[in-house]
Amino acid sequence: MKVSELAEKAGLNSLNNFKDKNIEGVYISDMVSDIITGAKANSLLVTLQTHKSLIAAANLVDVAAIVFVRGKKPAQDVIDLASKAGIGLFVADKDTWTFAMTLRDTGLK
Amino acid sequence: MSTCRHQWAMVNVRNGYLVIEGCAKCKARSSFFSTEPIAPVDNYHEGEHFWSYLSSAQAVKFDLKCDECGEAVSLDEMMGLMLSTCREPECEVGRIATDAGRGTWVYVALCADSTHAGGKCVSEAGVKALTEYFNAQIKDQDKRIIVVPCIKCNSIDTCEGIVIADTGLTDIY
Repeated sequence: MKVSELAEKAGLNSLNNFKDKNIEGVYISDMVSDIITGAKANSLLVTLQTHKSLIAAANLVDVAAIVFVRGKKPAQDVIDLASKAGIGLFVADKDTWTFAMTLRDTGLK
Repeated sequence: MSTCRHQWAMVNVRNGYLVIEGCAKCKARSSFFSTEPIAPVDNYHEGEHFWSYLSSAQAVKFDLKCDECGEAVSLDEMMGLMLSTCREPECEVGRIATDAGRGTWVYVALCADSTHAGGKCVSEAGVKALTEYFNAQIKDQDKRIIVVPCIKCNSIDTCEGIVIADTGLTDIY
């Protein structure tokens, strides 16, 4: 499923311009050190963390897009860095668990 | 020299704390990785230095091992990774990033001793394996990763970059 297709199905608005990659998995974590060892290329990252360090980690492992849950919005410099890396950023008002259920409903496995 | 086209995999993944210390006398910074349940905050003498706790962050350490030939590369000396945003022409890392161009991201492998007084840093074999490992994971054909040792920075204490560390984790809520 493409990032844009997922965004439409899950009702997400993007914060930036991004590469419309094919999402191949989901990784949920709030620790950047965990992302380096756990997230895979072209995965969708779901997190509460909005720090710039998150983008540095996500870029290193080639994450396709990031969803910030509970309505958290990153600062503009974080958005700018993600745009440069082609990583799509989205905000969901739901908590992590509820959003994970939404992802399941979209058909993303 | 090995002819294997290495297929690196992360092994020996350890979770712990990256502890940063500073010497009040010479202003040097040092760091170490602790797997204790709580990050150590002790002050102590070591030779001419008097190390004081500055900060800590949850961190992870790992080594790399080739699935094909079994060669292992220890990354014990690496304390963390930093996405370099340096573009200083006087800095070798800045020059590498500038020369590499769009789509290439330079990450600095950080060692424990910011002064590099002993001449030691993350090994050449380590940064080579890290570069190969991360590039092998990437599926975006327009993206490339270069990992360099922090000894190439003009001054790692002032070098521009984004350290991958779980600092401020208690602030996220």
